[in-house]
Amino acid sequence: MSITPEKLRYLNSHEWAFVADDSSGIATIGISAFAVEELTDLVFMALPKVGQTLTAGSEFGEVESVKAVSPMYSPVSGTVVEIHSALVDKLESLSVDPYNEGWIIKVKMSDPSELSGLLDWESYQKQCSH
Amino acid sequence: MQADMPGLLILDPPQSGEINMAVDEALLKNAISDGPVVMRIYQWDRPTLSLGHFQRLEDRDSNPLIAKLPWVRRKTGGGAIVHDLELTYSIVIPNRIDQPTKGHSESLYRAIHLSLVENLRSLGWDAKLSETCTCSMSASREPEPFLCFLRRSPVDILVNGDKMVGSAQRRSATGLLQHGSFLLRRSQSTPELCGLLDATADLISVGQENLRRKNSFDVSSAVDGWIDFLVQALQAGLRKNLRVDWRLGTLGDLCKIAWERTGSRPEQR
Repeated sequence: MSITPEKLRYLNSHEWAFVADDSSGIATIGISAFAVEELTDLVFMALPKVGQTLTAGSEFGEVESVKAVSPMYSPVSGTVVEIHSALVDKLESLSVDPYNEGWIIKVKMSDPSELSGLLDWESYQKQCSH
Repeated sequence: MQADMPGLLILDPPQSGEINMAVDEALLKNAISDGPVVMRIYQWDRPTLSLGHFQRLEDRDSNPLIAKLPWVRRKTGGGAIVHDLELTYSIVIPNRIDQPTKGHSESLYRAIHLSLVENLRSLGWDAKLSETCTCSMSASREPEPFLCFLRRSPVDILVNGDKMVGSAQRRSATGLLQHGSFLLRRSQSTPELCGLLDATADLISVGQENLRRKNSFDVSSAVDGWIDFLVQALQAGLRKNLRVDWRLGTLGDLCKIAWERTGSRPEQR
């Protein structure tokens, strides 16, 4: 299934979360096209370990662009159940398709109600245009 | 443009790599949203290798001149730097509630480096931005050189084709840290890299004289003059993005600001 940005929820620090319309309670997390463009050429990404526990708003990894290091924050609380380890060797796919090929981690949510506190597409776009 | 932000300029004495990096990390970690922009200019008390945040320590081992140096890891990205006959700067800009984080600020790099280029050119040096990139996203996908000053990013500063100033950033929830290094002289640990003052004697003489004339103070030593040059150029570059009302201060002044904000002044007699 293709993920489109309009379906996602966002942190104001540019991470997105996608939850499939099923009962898995798993959120797929990545960074937005806006963030990828602002970061410019990406050269390195540090990811968490499967099984690591995250709280909403906590740092789950770091990304380095040409000489700039930025933290990535988790939009939801839960446990990391999958990481996109192949992404580290093909960071250019984030520039091509940050919402599908560019997913970063999957988290089994401990509190799905946190999703309602995230920005919807319209609010996120407004923030980016400031 | 926003109203003037307070700015604190700190001119620190040479210190160890551990202290220098700890101070910069603390400045970023404790940046207050309505607190000052901090610019710190400093040197290192012995030749020291600083590694970019993600660099592997073992990558220094192939270079015996570098492998024997004390080392420290930076919070900022990029390549390794031998801090010897150079000046280092750090700038910490707190995140503002009214200015949400928008990823990295290449515009800040560019504004600061363009200002340095303009100021170097005004003194007679053939300075320009690199406008080329050796990053691993390029077509060749060759690994980048270990040393920052052998790498090229589009906004690095070249003088006569050699890189003289490189900068790197780190974003956090509290603000932005930008580090930069300005090579003054060739280091024995990196003989392949020349500094600004390794250019021809005539050029140095003209540049130093122009620097003395440009500044109202007495340039008692080359380093003092270049510290002042760096401060003026950095502040002019920042002015293109931010209006900052600068004053000279110390790390102690920052502690006092933090006490005022938090009401946690230590008990005293």
